Amino acid sequence: MTGLVKTYFNHLHQYFLQFVPLSKEAFEKLVPYFVIRELDKKTIIVHPGEVDDYFNIIAKGLVRKYMVVNKKEITIQLATEGHMIHSEISFNTRVPSDCFIETIEPSVLISMSYENLQKVYATFPEFEKLGRLVITDMFIRKDIRDMTQLKNSTRERFVTYMKKHPDMLQRVPQKYLASYLNIKPETFSRLKHLLRSK
Amino acid sequence: MEGLYDYIKQFAVLDRQEFDLLAQMLEVKRFDKKAVVTQSGEIENYLYFVSSGLVRKYFVYGKKEIITQLACEQDLVSSSVSFLSRKPSSYILETLEPSLLLGLSFDNMEKIYQMGPRMNRLGRLIIIDWLVQKEAWEHERIKQNPRERFVNFIRQNSELVQRVPQKHLASYLNMKPETFSRYKHLLSK
Repeated sequence: MTGLVKTYFNHLHQYFLQFVPLSKEAFEKLVPYFVIRELDKKTIIVHPGEVDDYFNIIAKGLVRKYMVVNKKEITIQLATEGHMIHSEISFNTRVPSDCFIETIEPSVLISMSYENLQKVYATFPEFEKLGRLVITDMFIRKDIRDMTQLKNSTRERFVTYMKKHPDMLQRVPQKYLASYLNIKPETFSRLKHLLRSK
Repeated sequence: MEGLYDYIKQFAVLDRQEFDLLAQMLEVKRFDKKAVVTQSGEIENYLYFVSSGLVRKYFVYGKKEIITQLACEQDLVSSSVSFLSRKPSSYILETLEPSLLLGLSFDNMEKIYQMGPRMNRLGRLIIIDWLVQKEAWEHERIKQNPRERFVNFIRQNSELVQRVPQKHLASYLNMKPETFSRYKHLLSK
């Protein structure tokens, strides 16, 4: 393992530690089931119509999930270091995805295939609890995002997001951010003055 | 309890004995029609299985009620995020018919998880199921126009259409009640 890969796995171990106590030895059991995927920017890793075979934790980079509806791209998720991204319905129920997943920056993903994930659970049932808590966390985060999207005004959505993720304005093309926040690109540009005045 | 057994069976995790352990932890709760089961701002303490009846889950946005779930027999319903995160609920659960619910309290759920990996597996699979449903609900809202949402829903839920007041169906489908009425001619074809 190179130093860099070691660092990536260290981060993954830290991520899991939020959920359960997990010794280095116990974590090492999981490592062989993961693959490290190094990707250029603008690489599409899932196309609509394909069954998504991997869940991914982002070690480095930035990845976007989107749908195309009437030729318009609708960004559903923007994920950075330490976050998970996959086509949830496709991965979990083994049906074709209705989304694209694409890197925005050169990215490194720590990925586990569906098949390996099932092997892990079958071989080490003690990881069921970790799996349950990780998926619970995803479920809660998704609901919080949905609620913010539905309940907050355009301005509130903009300000809340930018305060929480100040680096994203530099890293993500504005049209994607606007789509993700469900704000028209013109409105998005106009709202940017709110960031300077503070 | 047999209804619940059938529901649990689809996840292919527990044997009958394990199921009985789980069933012992449930509380039987009866509600009249239009009873509030969970109020917004409260921490949800139960995960319910609908044994009989009908429950709607909604949140209030401005003056509008937005329904995110209509749960009938064999469905699970809960202000699930509040239940799991122990934070105040953004949702309200209210019965639309007199209902008999089997409730699993948060404390009892934790006891069940301490019984071992298989119970955790069941929990994991149920939450994945919720996550997938949530995602599908969202994708349908993005992808389908109101007419498609109407037709698909009615095809798949002919029974609910008989039981749920139209204004609630319209809210669930994210359309105005007038639009819902207008689409009804599509069904006679």
